[in-house]
Amino acid sequence: MFRLLASIRKELLLLVRDRAGLAILFLMPMVLILVMTLIQDVSFRKLDETRLSILFLDEDRDSLGITVRKGLEESGFFQAITAIDGTPLTEEKVFQQVAQGNYQIGIVIRKEMSEIIRIRARQLIRRALSEGDSTMLSAIHKAQDSARIILYFDPVIKSSFKQSIRNALENFTTRIEAKITFQVFAEELSAFLPEGRQLLLEHRNGVNFEEIYATNQYNEIVPNSVQHNVPAWTVFAMFFIVIPLTGNLIKERESGTALRLRVMPGSYIHVLSSKILVYLVVGLIQFLLMMLVGITILPMFGLPALDPGPQKLALIILAASTAIAATGYGVMLGTIATTQEQAASFGSVSVVILAAIGGVWVPVFMMPGIMQMLSRISPLNWGLEGFYDVFLRGGGMVEVLPYVALLLGFFIITMSIAFFYNKFKAVSY
Amino acid sequence: MPEKTIITMENLSKTYKGSTEPALDSICIRIPEKEIFGLLGPNGAGKTTTIHILCGLLQPTSGEATIDGLNVNRHLVQIRRIIGVVPQEIALYPTLTAWETLQFIGNMYGLKGMALRQRIEECLDMLGLLKFAGRKIKTYSGGMKRRINLIAGILHKPRILFLDEPTVGIDVQSRTVILDYLKELNKSGTTVIYTSHYLEEAENFCTQIAILDYGRIIAEGRPRELIANKPEYSDLESIFLHLTGRHLRDN
Repeated sequence: MFRLLASIRKELLLLVRDRAGLAILFLMPMVLILVMTLIQDVSFRKLDETRLSILFLDEDRDSLGITVRKGLEESGFFQAITAIDGTPLTEEKVFQQVAQGNYQIGIVIRKEMSEIIRIRARQLIRRALSEGDSTMLSAIHKAQDSARIILYFDPVIKSSFKQSIRNALENFTTRIEAKITFQVFAEELSAFLPEGRQLLLEHRNGVNFEEIYATNQYNEIVPNSVQHNVPAWTVFAMFFIVIPLTGNLIKERESGTALRLRVMPGSYIHVLSSKILVYLVVGLIQFLLMMLVGITILPMFGLPALDPGPQKLALIILAASTAIAATGYGVMLGTIATTQEQAASFGSVSVVILAAIGGVWVPVFMMPGIMQMLSRISPLNWGLEGFYDVFLRGGGMVEVLPYVALLLGFFIITMSIAFFYNKFKAVSY
Repeated sequence: MPEKTIITMENLSKTYKGSTEPALDSICIRIPEKEIFGLLGPNGAGKTTTIHILCGLLQPTSGEATIDGLNVNRHLVQIRRIIGVVPQEIALYPTLTAWETLQFIGNMYGLKGMALRQRIEECLDMLGLLKFAGRKIKTYSGGMKRRINLIAGILHKPRILFLDEPTVGIDVQSRTVILDYLKELNKSGTTVIYTSHYLEEAENFCTQIAILDYGRIIAEGRPRELIANKPEYSDLESIFLHLTGRHLRDN
């Protein structure tokens, strides 16, 4: 115990005097949380918080053009730009501006689009009432061919985003088509009614949506960008302790201090235990700091404050398990790697890969099947899922225990690899 | 009355993995207690390998070594309590002060409290470092680092001290302080096992030497006796060159 305390004191002194290491351990994760949450917040924002400028040329100047523009602006995600520097848009100008990358999307609603929709609706109804007419049918097809909304996209736009724009426009046009069709239908049917009477038909959505988050019934946490991003980047940052930890182990080996420690009384386990304990505490401090960033600093940037929920003990146990898993990984890499450069580059790249397959950037459910299977072997995924259980699903100790067990199992495996590798190396030397 | 043998090496051999040539080839050495025993030889002769086997850092391929009657493979825990090691590298933490370093090392040997404090002060004082005790080791000169490296190996008053080139790359003053201190230690009963490339230093410092080459002992005895037995050579260096040759050992 006395030797362990002496080793812990030594590790703490070494850590405190390594300013670059301290920055990696404490400052960088806080900056990471702040930056990544701010960047990723856009996909979670409510209406009116952010708007993408879209070039909008309405040559129709009728129901469709008005409805699409209104729909885009009411969505809260877009701002329709109809003139640049006071000059009204033309289709050529829309094309040029998007081609130059000044705007990412341009929408052109061609002339008489609304009228074409009306004609088509009328002809469809008349055709239905007159039970088929080939000349009328060809007129309908002709009208359909000329009815077109032109979308110009900057090539840098992701296909998923392009698709969502298209879906939104289809939604608006379907609505307006339905509305026009109802109007025309009412007009046409009115001809069959006694003089002076009119048919009143109104198109309304028959299906309403209600959004409910499927969580623990006592959960009062509201899912938002902060609740998603803070745990994700916290797990990611906590695993970055592998860099200073591997550096510490390799420096000891290169300087000969590891050799000195090996000829001293007491087991080398004392030395390793002190490192594990110190880095466990470091991991917990990192966790607390990142929670503090979520609770106090993120609101200063207009983001919602992190709600840690009522399950504090579950959170701390999960954080400690994540820290200990990261420490085990660091000890394993520090034992196997032969140079600091090797350990730093492999350590950082492997953490990034484990984070990627673990769902830190892209949710696991959105990944291809093979990646979803791979995500199950990432310790970052175990930590992340555990935190999501507490932060988003209202879970407690029972829910996080499987993840705690997996993380501790990972620690035992990595430490065993380090131990046997060390032993094998000493024997085969 | 002859001193008792404290270190024995019987047919000790070591071949490193991937190498066809042995680093040590069946060496047999007996080192009496309270000697200053010099292991000399060109680069790659097997000096450091011998010390590493005796300290339990390496397993011999064959043969046996004992320290104070304890087998180095089987009784490492007991052996570590009675030996001190001063490695060739400055095996210290650059960002710790000398005091913090020695306090940690003392603690690892089970020393604590006033006894440790007094021992640190005594050692630092003897080697002229007391007034620099609060300075970080990275700010020390080469000679100061060598001296603190030595103190780290002798703080717990080992019965046997292994020194791997303890005076390499330092000024004459630091070398003199180190060697004088080691002689004092030896007088108080510590057996010193020492390797060096400085043959003049070894000639004056060691009470016994063994010259190793290609993992074998090619000469052994008291320096003065070795010189006396070869009257055509005036010093240890001439004998060393005669025995090991002048060709370079860049292997």
